[in-house]
Amino acid sequence: MTQISRRDFGRNTFKWGGALTLLTALNFPAMAQTFDYLGPIKKNKVLQRDDLDDALKSLFMTYDSTRPYPHKFNETITKAQLEALECYILKGVEKEYVEHYITTMSPILKRIKQLVEKEGAEKGLVSMFEGTTCSYQLFERINVKPGERSFPCPYKGKLEDCKKWLGTFTINWEDVCNKWCIPTWSGFSKEIGININIQPGEECRVTLA
Amino acid sequence: MNNHHETTIQNKTSMEQEGKITRRGFAQKVLGLSFLSSLTLMNIPQAALAWMDGTFSERDDLDDALKVLVKTYNDTEPYPHKFYDALVKVHLRNLDFAVRKGLEKEHADHYVYVLGPVVERHIKSAIPKLGKDIFLWGIFERTCCSYQLYEHINIKEGERSFPCPYKAILEQIQKSMGTYVITWKDVCEKWCSLTWNGFAKKAGDIKIKIKPGETCKVKLA
Repeated sequence: MTQISRRDFGRNTFKWGGALTLLTALNFPAMAQTFDYLGPIKKNKVLQRDDLDDALKSLFMTYDSTRPYPHKFNETITKAQLEALECYILKGVEKEYVEHYITTMSPILKRIKQLVEKEGAEKGLVSMFEGTTCSYQLFERINVKPGERSFPCPYKGKLEDCKKWLGTFTINWEDVCNKWCIPTWSGFSKEIGININIQPGEECRVTLA
Repeated sequence: MNNHHETTIQNKTSMEQEGKITRRGFAQKVLGLSFLSSLTLMNIPQAALAWMDGTFSERDDLDDALKVLVKTYNDTEPYPHKFYDALVKVHLRNLDFAVRKGLEKEHADHYVYVLGPVVERHIKSAIPKLGKDIFLWGIFERTCCSYQLYEHINIKEGERSFPCPYKAILEQIQKSMGTYVITWKDVCEKWCSLTWNGFAKKAGDIKIKIKPGETCKVKLA
C-alpha cells in the first residue's frame, strides 16, 4: 500500500484538481462556513500567551552569556538544587530533605497513582519526567522511549563549573546521584506504585523494572 | 502584563525624561559611559566578559532551549506556567524544609557563602570605581540567578524592582497540595531579605532597603 503523508495528500488534491477544484471548494458555502481557518491559531496555547516577550528576553540573556562557560536555561535551577543539597548534607539532614520532598508532594503522587492504576506504569514515567516543569525545566532534553526515560545529567557539569569558578562546593557528583536523584525518584515511584531501575551517568537512564 | 509592557518598552525618550533607565539603556550607560569606565570594566575581566557577550547566534543548543520554552508556555493548566516555574518551586521547597528544621538562617548563609565569591571578587572591587549601583547590577540583571528567576527587572539608578515570583506559585502549591508550612512573609523575610543582605555585606557593607510586595523593590539606602 502506498502511504501518502497529510502534506502530500493536500498537494495532490490541489494539483490534480487545479484552480478549478480550489474555486469549487471556495464557492461551496457550507464548507466555507465550517472551515475554521483560524482554528489552529486560536487553539494554540502558546500563541495566546501575552508574556512571551519576557521569556524570550530571559532566554536571550542566558544564551548570550558564554563565559566562563556557556549558560543554559537550567543553570540556576541546577545551582539552587546543588546549593541546598550541599547545605543539608553538611548539616547531616539529607535523608530528611529527600523525605520532605516526597511527603510534601504526596497529594499529587496519590493522584498520579490513581492514573497509573487506570492507564499503566508508563503514566508514572510521564508524570515524573516530561509531564512536569520540575523535570523538563531541569533536564536539557528528555528522551522518551516506552518504559524508559533518559536525559543528560544537569548536575555533573554544573558541579564542576561551581567547583572551578566558585571554589566553595564540596559535595561530589556521586552525592548528587546517591543522596538526591536516586532516593527521590525511588520514593516517588514507590508512592505512585511503579518499580524502576536507575542507571546514573552523564546520560542518566530510568527504566520500568 | 500590559503594565510591564508599558514600563519596559516605553519610548526611550519619555523614559529618559522620567529619569528611568531601560535594561538596554542601562547596559549602554554602564558600558559606554566613557573610555575610563570601559577600562575599569576591563580590569574586572570575568565580570565584564561573562555577560551578554554577543555569542547568541553562535550557540548550537538553542533548539533544546526553545523546545522547553514552547512546552512551558503551552502548559496552561491549572495555571499558566512561566520559564521560572521549576526554579521557584525548588527555592520554596528548600525554604519550607529549612523553616521546618529551624535552619533558614544557615541555609541563607550557605547560599550567600557558595555564590558569594563572585560578589567579593568582582563587585566589591568595582564599587569604588563605578559606584554602589554596580552592586544592584551584580545581584540582579547581571546574574542568571536573578534574570532566570524574575520575569522582568525594572532598572533605575539605585533601585531595582521586579514582580515577586514566589507569591502566586506558593498560593498554587497550597491550593493544590496544602503541604507547606511557609507563608509568603517567610519567603520575604527568611529567604529574599537574608540573601540580599548577605550579598550586600559581602560587597563591603552596602546598605539596602527592601520593600516586599507583589512588585518587590530593592534600593540602595
